[in-house]
Parts: sequence; structure tokens; C-alpha cells
Amino acid sequence: MNSSSLDIHADLIARCRTGDRDAHYRIYKLYAKAMFNVGYRITRSEEDAEDVLQEAFISAFRSLDSYRGDATFGAWLKRIVVNKAINTLNKKKHESMLDDEHWDIAEAESQPEYREDLTIERIKQGIEKLPDGYRTVLSLYLLEGYDHQEIGEILGISESTSKSQLNRAKGKLKELLNA
Amino acid sequence: MKDQLEDFIQKNRAGFDDKEPSEKVWKNIESSLTFASKNRWNAVVWWRAAAIIFMALSAYLLMPKQVTKSQTSELAASEFSDVEAFYVQQISEKVELIDGFQKNEGLNGFTQDFKQLEAMYMILKEEMKSTPSQKVKDALVLNLLVRINLLNQQLYKLDQEYGKKEKKDEEV
Repeated sequence: MNSSSLDIHADLIARCRTGDRDAHYRIYKLYAKAMFNVGYRITRSEEDAEDVLQEAFISAFRSLDSYRGDATFGAWLKRIVVNKAINTLNKKKHESMLDDEHWDIAEAESQPEYREDLTIERIKQGIEKLPDGYRTVLSLYLLEGYDHQEIGEILGISESTSKSQLNRAKGKLKELLNA
Repeated sequence: MKDQLEDFIQKNRAGFDDKEPSEKVWKNIESSLTFASKNRWNAVVWWRAAAIIFMALSAYLLMPKQVTKSQTSELAASEFSDVEAFYVQQISEKVELIDGFQKNEGLNGFTQDFKQLEAMYMILKEEMKSTPSQKVKDALVLNLLVRINLLNQQLYKLDQEYGKKEKKDEEV
């Protein structure tokens, strides 16, 4: 990645470091919506996602000094959001993460086919119905753009577990969409 | 190897970020962060910080170390008494002014800093008596200067506040 794409908001971030309120607000406005959706997809609760968003921004702003610019600011912030969201989810433990035995279905390596046309709304509803473990892996991979190695690090699982979880999650999602 | 689902999501990625957080999130973030205020009163914060650094420096100076008395030390001691008289006069005038202003106010951040600096000064002065040196003299003078600056900032602030009150009274 070239440095110019990393530095889009370098000026704003530098102003944040000096305690500039307006710069903080502009950074918030730039990223809040995307980050809120990241948090929502993992926690599946608007209330929790707002708490996650709030905590993530506060800790990001407080630790701006540790942001060295080796990733984009957005990627750095997103990682904070993802970690906080997963913590929130783990605390609630409706189902324990990745303990989806009762949902287990045959690993579908074959290309899933969808009976009806895919729509954003249908996919979103389907994803929301997935159990926590599947939903998290599938969201991180398909929507947040992490690869299996990164997902492994984030969730503390192996790369191959991440891969098989994704396949299962896709299979389950197909089942839900075709139902 | 991308399937239909991955392909669809990638093409419509923006559509998946449709939720908006409420306004209260920013309000909460804002209230738990401290920003540099844009008005002049930020100067007070800086001077308070300077006062604290200065206290730490004084403490360092007071740490027991090998005593090396020299001729310059004697000179420093005699110079200092003139300088001290001048600044102490200034300080007491300003303190009187401020006391007049804020009789009813309790201990605030300013008076705490000021009292600490004052206490530090007394200790430094003892040090000056027993082992006079250029370093201790510098620390004493700096202490006086920092206190004068704190007082000036406080006077300015009180002046502003007093001005505002008067304006309000006029409006009423």
C-alpha cells in the first residue's frame, strides 16, 4: 500500500493529538456509521453496538499515540471495534462462540446455489439468524474483509477452524435463504 | 474461488452498512475526553503543568548529594537576597488582590498549586541557607517567577469573570 492512501486523514489525526475538539468530531463522523455496523453485525444488538462504538472511539482517541500509521486509521479503529464487540458478545454468551454443534451441518464445499434472487435485505436477515460463532466468522470474512489468518488471531482459533466455520456458516445461510 | 454469495456481497458492500448510531454516542464520547480549550484559559493549564514540573525539579535538587561549596555559591547567596526581596513584594501584592476577589471560594486547583509551590520554596530556602549554590538559587528564582505567572493568570481570569458579572448586572 502506498503512503498516500494511509495518510488521507493524517492531518485530522495530527490535530486530534493536539486535543482539537473539531478534529475529533470530524474523525468520528467519518467512521462512526461504518464502525457502528461492524459492531452491530457481531453483537446483533443496536444497544450493544452503540456501547461498543462509544468505548472503541474513546479508547482509540486516548491511545492515538500508539497509532503508528502502519495500517490505515480505519483498519486500526475497526480492529478495536471488532475486539470490543467480540468481548461484549462473549460476556453475554447466549451461545458460546464457535460451539455450534447443534447447528452442525455437512460441510458444503460445493458452490451453494440460491433458489431466489439474492437481495441485501434477505442476506442481512439470514446473517442475523445465524448463531454467534458462524455469524462472527462470516461477517469478519465476507463483510469486514479479514482473511482466515486474521480471523484466527482475532478469535483465537486456527486458520483451518476459521475456514471450516466459514464453510459451515455459508451452508447454514444458504439453508436459511432457501427456506 | 468466489461463490454467488461472496460476489453479491462484494458488489453491494455499501448496502450492508445501513444502520446509524444515535446522537448520544458522540455526546458520551465528547464528555469523557478532555479537549484543549480554544480560549485563552488554556494558558492556566499550561502554567499549572509548568508548576508541577518545576516542583519535581526542585525535589530533585533537594536530593542529598555531595556538597561542593565554592566561591560562586557565596556570591549566589548574596545576589539572591536582593532578587528575593523584589519578587516577594510583587507576589504579596498580587496575593492580596486575589484574596480580595475570592474570599468566599474554598480551596481550588489554583490555590493548591500555589500552596505547594510556596511550601517547596520554604524547603529550597532552607537548602540555600545550609548549602548555597547557583542551582538552588536558580530554582528559587524560577519558583518565584512561576508563582508570579500563576498569579497573573488567576488575576486575568478573575478580571474576566468579574467583567462578565458586571455586564449581566447591567442587563438586569
